[in-house]
Amino acid sequence: MNDLLTTSLYKFHQEQKAKMIEFAGWLMPFSYEGTIKEHNYVRTESGFFDVSHMGRIYIENNEIENVNKLICSDLIKLKSTKAMYSIFTNEEGNALDDVIFWKFETHIILICNAINRDKITTHLTNNEISYKDITFETSLIAIQGPQSIELLKTLLEIPDKFSTKYNKTFTYARTGYTGEDGLEIMYENIHTDQVLKFLIENNIKPCGLGSRDTLRLEASLPLYGFELTEKISPVEANLKWVINNNDNYLGKNKIDEQIKSGEHKYLKKFILESKRIPRTGTEVKNNNVSGVVTSGNYSPILEKSIGFVLLDSLPESNLLEFDIRGNLLEGQIINKRFLN
Amino acid sequence: MTDKKYLETHEWYSINDNNITVGISDFAQGELGDIVFVTLPNVGEEFNKGDSMIEIEATKTVAEAYAPMDCVITEINLDLDSQPEIINTDPCGTGWLVKADIKNLDDTGMSYQEYESFIS
Repeated sequence: MNDLLTTSLYKFHQEQKAKMIEFAGWLMPFSYEGTIKEHNYVRTESGFFDVSHMGRIYIENNEIENVNKLICSDLIKLKSTKAMYSIFTNEEGNALDDVIFWKFETHIILICNAINRDKITTHLTNNEISYKDITFETSLIAIQGPQSIELLKTLLEIPDKFSTKYNKTFTYARTGYTGEDGLEIMYENIHTDQVLKFLIENNIKPCGLGSRDTLRLEASLPLYGFELTEKISPVEANLKWVINNNDNYLGKNKIDEQIKSGEHKYLKKFILESKRIPRTGTEVKNNNVSGVVTSGNYSPILEKSIGFVLLDSLPESNLLEFDIRGNLLEGQIINKRFLN
Repeated sequence: MTDKKYLETHEWYSINDNNITVGISDFAQGELGDIVFVTLPNVGEEFNKGDSMIEIEATKTVAEAYAPMDCVITEINLDLDSQPEIINTDPCGTGWLVKADIKNLDDTGMSYQEYESFIS
């Protein structure tokens, strides 16, 4: 694992004896005390994630019109101090990456998936957009959970939901990385010790990528590489709410066609009353419609198997049949969120 | 009861007269992460050495436990139905999986020391 990248919190992860895994070229914590324990910290108290592996790209506001030609949401209309979830699309209207923008008076911070940082920076370069990749000189911590905002009040002025703020040391937003309230905080690496001191003093527990996955899945949030890929469009991924860009952005024609015709794949949420978990790649049938599980795991809150399935066309009913290692098991499509 | 012996597929077994108790190793539970469901066989089911007997679902992945020798299931650990996490907390004790009568004795598993060097 010598060639892997590490974050400014690496020493802390080692001291905590975190189980480390390779993720997108980085050596990252998978868990500290166990995935379910960490999951429950975030659902009931407060936990923090080192998400410094995610790409952070600084772009001056004079490039916004150019960036807007590459994403399916309207970055021009987004007000300064606001944060926005969006998707970079390719010519086919499929997802190059799902990202978060933080907008300020003079610039935007683009936060992309670690696995896609090279792809997105190359895409910006190819479209003659100037940027500065600040991933390595900064850290990014997501503090999540119902107690987080109250605890953070002693450190920072709290922005409204989906808004941003900054001070001399910290640039931050309140977007809900795990479906819980909290802040995502970026700072120069030299401040890591100060941040860790605050987290430890406030008993905010470290959480790894294992609980990141179960929390995001339970919160019905897509994960790039699974629910969104270069072969899946935002329409197919049930993310039509993200599409509000009237500019002629890359892939717009394909996306508009899909919305108009309804002829496309459909990503649906499922729940299963079984002791078996349908994992990524599990084949699914819905009458004559075939599909495949994109993500499946255990929901610690519901204590059931849940996940996403990508069906070839609009399902005829909510009944699904999963082929889990030769066992045919029934599950249900659910149209509301997993958690109320 | 004999000392535990270990397999390359990370099960342990111990022999008591003509009966074996089977579980997974501490190393295996650590690699799996939080165990959430266990699918056990039925009492009376027969397995040949190497057959998959048990499915263990964890938050990280799914794993199977294999028969260490030809055997017939005599008892399953019913506590795992409501508390699968005892495999994480006590894999070599209360987190045992099944007990089975031996059909063909094959006591060729690794000693703890051999298994330790196998996993390190």
